[in-house]
This record gives sequence, structure tokens and C-alpha cells, in this order.
Amino acid sequence: MAGGQERILRRRIKSVQATRKITKAMELIAASQIARSQARIAANRPYREGMQRIIREAASADPAAARKMLATPEKVDVAIVLVIVGDRGLSGPYNSSALRAGDRLVHMLQHQGTRVRLFTVGKKAPAFFRFRGLDVEQSFTGFADRPTFADARAVAAALAAPFVAGEVQQVLLVSTRFVSAGSQVVESEQLLPLVMPNDMEVAAPTGLKGYTEFEPEVEQLLTELAPRALESEIFSALLEGAASFHTSQQRAMAAATDNADELGQTLSRIMNRARQDSITTEIMEIVGGAEALRSGK
Amino acid sequence: MASLRVEIVTPESALWTGDATGLMARSSEGQFTILPQHTATVGDVVPGVVRVATSSGEVAFCVHGGYFQVGPGEEPGVTRATVLAGIAERVGDIDVARASRAKETLEAQLASPGDLDDLSRAQLTGALARAELRLRAAQH
Repeated sequence: MAGGQERILRRRIKSVQATRKITKAMELIAASQIARSQARIAANRPYREGMQRIIREAASADPAAARKMLATPEKVDVAIVLVIVGDRGLSGPYNSSALRAGDRLVHMLQHQGTRVRLFTVGKKAPAFFRFRGLDVEQSFTGFADRPTFADARAVAAALAAPFVAGEVQQVLLVSTRFVSAGSQVVESEQLLPLVMPNDMEVAAPTGLKGYTEFEPEVEQLLTELAPRALESEIFSALLEGAASFHTSQQRAMAAATDNADELGQTLSRIMNRARQDSITTEIMEIVGGAEALRSGK
Repeated sequence: MASLRVEIVTPESALWTGDATGLMARSSEGQFTILPQHTATVGDVVPGVVRVATSSGEVAFCVHGGYFQVGPGEEPGVTRATVLAGIAERVGDIDVARASRAKETLEAQLASPGDLDDLSRAQLTGALARAELRLRAAQH
């Protein structure tokens, strides 16, 4: 019956509007977090650049010592892969694209005969990899939205220990880089051995404007610096990941809100037509009845 | 004119940036002072108080270990000194009550013969060292 259909439609519209309220709220929250997480990236920049400067100075002063910490190994038997994603979903392709890139990297390494030890940041990662039959050695969760330096330290400590012990020859990172508000790119890069920010050979002559003094000696300094540089790199990856997550979520929720608007409009049009139809039918029935009564007289 | 530009930065923020007349800190090789025109140097900073002398007085920072780098700045005649610290704060910002509370709790935790593994013991010891340094720095 027409009245029943109208009631069903009214209920659906209500549910669409309730969903819209949620997505709109999430959109606004994410939008407010974007600015904050971008400010945190900017605040981290002087530290990160300072750290890279020190490593470059130290590396160009004593290339022999630097080679131990910086050179890419010829043969990698065991590698660590760290994948950074978010703790929450509803963020468009943010989680899945980083996870897929991580999955591809792991398969590529395994194909080359490298054993992979998998570390992850973010609640969304372990389930994904377990489903694909990959064991996650350690997963860090709970801070992907707002990472602190202490969190980065904890992750770095877990990664550095096997590298320093010589159990692994390479540590790789898969994370989302925040290029700009409009573009976030999933990238994989090498964390350990440390990679020079700019090509070292090119940087060496400009870096040496004179004789640089070191206290303590370069070799000792580099050994102590490497874990600090790792912390710094992981921290900036976490910060950029968080900013990318919020951007992605804001965009996804804006699209969801738009869709809910559109769906609500379509549904209320259908409902209005159904209501109008039932009114028209009723009038026709009344008129028809009256007509029949009059002609019967 | 020769000048010195000092930056005290932590991963979370640039704590202090400005022109200074000198920078005093302690590395693993001993106390040192950076003045304008200092030669390019890279080294570590052991936990302690880092003092920055400016034309309008001295600013002190409590630095819980880090590194420093001295090099030529962007403009000619400017020497740039950067102190990179994982954790650092201005001495004036230290909350003495909070630090002493933290010290007491940490000492109690370390003293109790609980089943602490090496990692958490190291973390507690590190936190205790920071609390003690804060108290010492705030007293000066």
C-alpha cells in the first residue's frame, strides 16, 4: 500500500540524515587536526635538519667510519620492514595504500631470498598482514593520531637493537609522506644503514668549509648519533603519517557527507511523490464514490 | 660585525632561537664555551644546564643530553650554533613540585623489589636522572 511505502522512505531518510551528522562531525574534527599536525611537522623541521647536518659533517670528515654506518650492504640476509598506518579507519585510501605497498615490498624481498621481519605502527596493520599470512613481529598502536617523540623513541629502540646486534642488515620503512595538503604519497625508504639526505659525494666538498673539530672522535660520535638519527627519521615519518591520515579522513568524510546529502534529496523526492500519489488516489476514490451515489439517485 | 646565532631545538619544537654573545655547555670532553667566530665543531652535550648569554641577560636551559653543531650561518660573519636535544626545557619553565614528586615516585618504584625487566628499569632510571637534573637546574 502507498502509505506503507511512505513510512519506509521516511525511516530511511532519517537514517541517512543521522549518518550525515556523524560524517559531518568527523569531517570537522579531522579538519581541525590537519592544521595542528601540519604545525607539528613544521616544529620538527629544525631538529630534523640539524640532525641531518651533523650526520653529513661527521660522515664527510671520516668516510671510513661513516661507511660502516652509512653504506648499503651488498647482501641482505634479513631485513626489517616497518609499515606505518593509522589506528582508525574511515580515512579513504590512507591505510590500504600503505599496507598494500608494504605487502608488495615484503613479497619483493622474499622473492630475492631475503628473510623479512615485520614491524608495524597503527592498529589497522596487524589484522591486514595476519590475513595475508605474514607474521607481525611487533606492532605499536595507540599513538598514530598524535605521535610524541617518546613513541618514536620506543619504535626506534625496537628496530635498532637487532641491527646493532648484527641480526639484520637493513631496515626499511613504508609510510605516507605529507607532500602538501593536496598530495600525500606512500613511499618506501631505507632507515638503516642511514641514508644521507643529499648525495654524500656531492655534499662533501661544500660541507667542508674548513676543518671541523669533533668532540668526541668522529667514529664514536657516529656510533652514538646513528640511533638518534633513526629516532628523528621515525618521528618525522610518524608526524607526516598523522597529518596524511587527518587529511585523508577529512576528504573521505567530506565525500561521505556529500553523498548523504544527495541520497537524502533523492529519497525525499521519492517520498513526496509517493505521498502525492496516495493523496491523488484518495481524492479519486472520494470523487468516484460521490459520482456513483449521485447517479444512483 | 661578528655575531652568534643560537638555536636550541627539540624534536617537538624549536625551544629558543636568537642572537647571542655566547653559549656555554658541557660535552663528554668537558665544559666549553662557544663565542662568535668559533671554528666549525660537532660534538655531544651531556645532560646538564646549557647557558646562552645574550645582550639582555642570560637564558638557561635544562638539556637532557644531545648534540651541538657550530658552523657558518647563512649570512657572512654570522656563526650558527645549534643544540639538538631529545628532551630539553627552559630552566624557568621547570615545575619544581612536579619534578620532586616524580623523583619520589621513581625512587620508590626502583627501590621496590618488583619484577622489573631491564628495559623498564632503564626507563625508570632515565626518568629519575631527568627529574634530579631538573631539580638541580631549578635550584641555581
